[in-house]
Amino acid sequence: MARKKRNNKKLLTQMALYFIVFLGLTWALVPIIWMVLSSLKTQAGMFAMPPKIFFEPNFDTFKYMFSEDGGFLNYLRNSVVASVTSTVISLVLGALGGYALARGRFKQTKHIAFWIISTRMAPIPAVMLPLYLLFTQLNLVGTMTGLIFAYTTFNLPFALWMMMIFFKEVPEALEEAAMIDGCSKFQAFLKIAVPTATTGLVATGILCLMFAWNDFMFASIFSGHSTQTIPVAASMLITQQGIAWGQAMATGTVIITPMVVAGLAVRKYLVQGLSMGAVK
Amino acid sequence: MQINAEKSWSKNTDHHVKKKRRKFSTEFWMLIPSMVLLAIISIFPFLYLIYASFMDFTISFQRPEFIGLGNWIYVLSDSLFWSSWGRTILYVGVGLGLQLLIGVGMALAIYHLPKGKNIVVTLWMIPVFVAPVVAGLLGRYLLNSTYGLYDWFFSLLGMETQILGDTMTSMPAIILMDVWEWTPLITLIVLAGLNSLSSEPLEAADVDGANYLQKLTYVILPLIAKTIVVALLVRSMDILRFVDKIKIATEGGPADSTKVAGYYLMEVAFKFQDFGAGSVLGITMLIVTIFLGQFFVKFMMDKQ
Repeated sequence: MARKKRNNKKLLTQMALYFIVFLGLTWALVPIIWMVLSSLKTQAGMFAMPPKIFFEPNFDTFKYMFSEDGGFLNYLRNSVVASVTSTVISLVLGALGGYALARGRFKQTKHIAFWIISTRMAPIPAVMLPLYLLFTQLNLVGTMTGLIFAYTTFNLPFALWMMMIFFKEVPEALEEAAMIDGCSKFQAFLKIAVPTATTGLVATGILCLMFAWNDFMFASIFSGHSTQTIPVAASMLITQQGIAWGQAMATGTVIITPMVVAGLAVRKYLVQGLSMGAVK
Repeated sequence: MQINAEKSWSKNTDHHVKKKRRKFSTEFWMLIPSMVLLAIISIFPFLYLIYASFMDFTISFQRPEFIGLGNWIYVLSDSLFWSSWGRTILYVGVGLGLQLLIGVGMALAIYHLPKGKNIVVTLWMIPVFVAPVVAGLLGRYLLNSTYGLYDWFFSLLGMETQILGDTMTSMPAIILMDVWEWTPLITLIVLAGLNSLSSEPLEAADVDGANYLQKLTYVILPLIAKTIVVALLVRSMDILRFVDKIKIATEGGPADSTKVAGYYLMEVAFKFQDFGAGSVLGITMLIVTIFLGQFFVKFMMDKQ
């Protein structure tokens, strides 16, 4: 009797747990599912009340966006060029510097660490203001170079910080063994440390891509007519006359899809990256 | 940059000294490129910000005039400056409080699930990948008072609302958008902490006859408290960094009800072109970040 009671209690607890989790997932996923569904609806279907869950998918919005008139391919190219270039620059310099910070015995490592974190976490509006004044003098506003430089302000400190953490996890003995075999320190870095830390390098790179790809604030001020990125294009759909919701939802779907795929691929390192290495 | 090479001078043989010095110089040269670029992207703008805070850009953008403490006096006596910081504290405080509550709750629920943990975590973390601009668009779409899905739910409950158009509900809506996007991160961090707990203290608590709530408050939470504090530090700096959602969903309105410090700075600088006053605002924001960052680095370095 007592055992049955305990089993009942256990079953109830489990049901409660699944219920809580179900509620949580509903809250988290309904907006995203609704966005994807809306992007596949006709204009009339989108605004139907009560909202429709079942309908015949319509790809006209996507077709228009990717056509010549839609201009979306330009935004896509700008987004890819800006985020990939800033990621490559940050990753190369970040790997070199991060390795040096992990292995070198500099007296100022703690001060450098603090400097890196302050730069990475500086409020974007406070960074944008002096950069904007500087860029206007150098005629960099509206150029791709300016945008890439702006993205480096958060991606370089991020890559430095993360690579420092990842290289600290590589056992130094491996490199020492290679150096006894006649490698220089730099060769040991290239041939031993970098291959050992490849997953960390890839994860850092994907997160850099994500930060740049998702950026709206820098691009809204620093990108010009020909260098507009996708998030800026999405914000341009909000006008005085109203909002082109069909396109907005389709654009949103295009923005998040690659990030969800890439992010889930490096899931293991995601928390570490997003918490600036505080959690392993 | 100085190095700790002196010690090896006295203690080691010549051979070792040579090796030590070589080791240092390679690393030094590896560090230099990133430090130079980092200086260009951080120190220079920071000094420029301080310079700009003493200049008046409103008459001529190209040739600003020195006005001493004019901008500082103007900003510090501006009621909108103080109210925007007040709203920022509310945004960060309430937002983080909710994220912590829901995040820890979900983490505990997921942790004790008998089956399906992996798929649940995967689905739960998806909002983290959503660009802030998309989160803002979604909020505005779902809460639209004529065709928004969430608004339709509210109308079923008999509530006629203008959530983003009402000064009472606009800030809560903005906070919930951030909570929606970032609560999963808190869950993931807490889950990582829970998974790394050793079973010994929990077994000891079981022996002592502790119930679940006691185990939670006296064993589990204290053990992962430090991780949570670090996570909250990162999140608080991050909330200060971004204003994308506000720009897209409410543009600081209605009646300034969602105008947080970062948004106010964007408006002063890039809409009204008052870069001097904007610089003062920027410096106040940087001071807060630097203060939080110092704690973060201290926590991180102590851990290692």
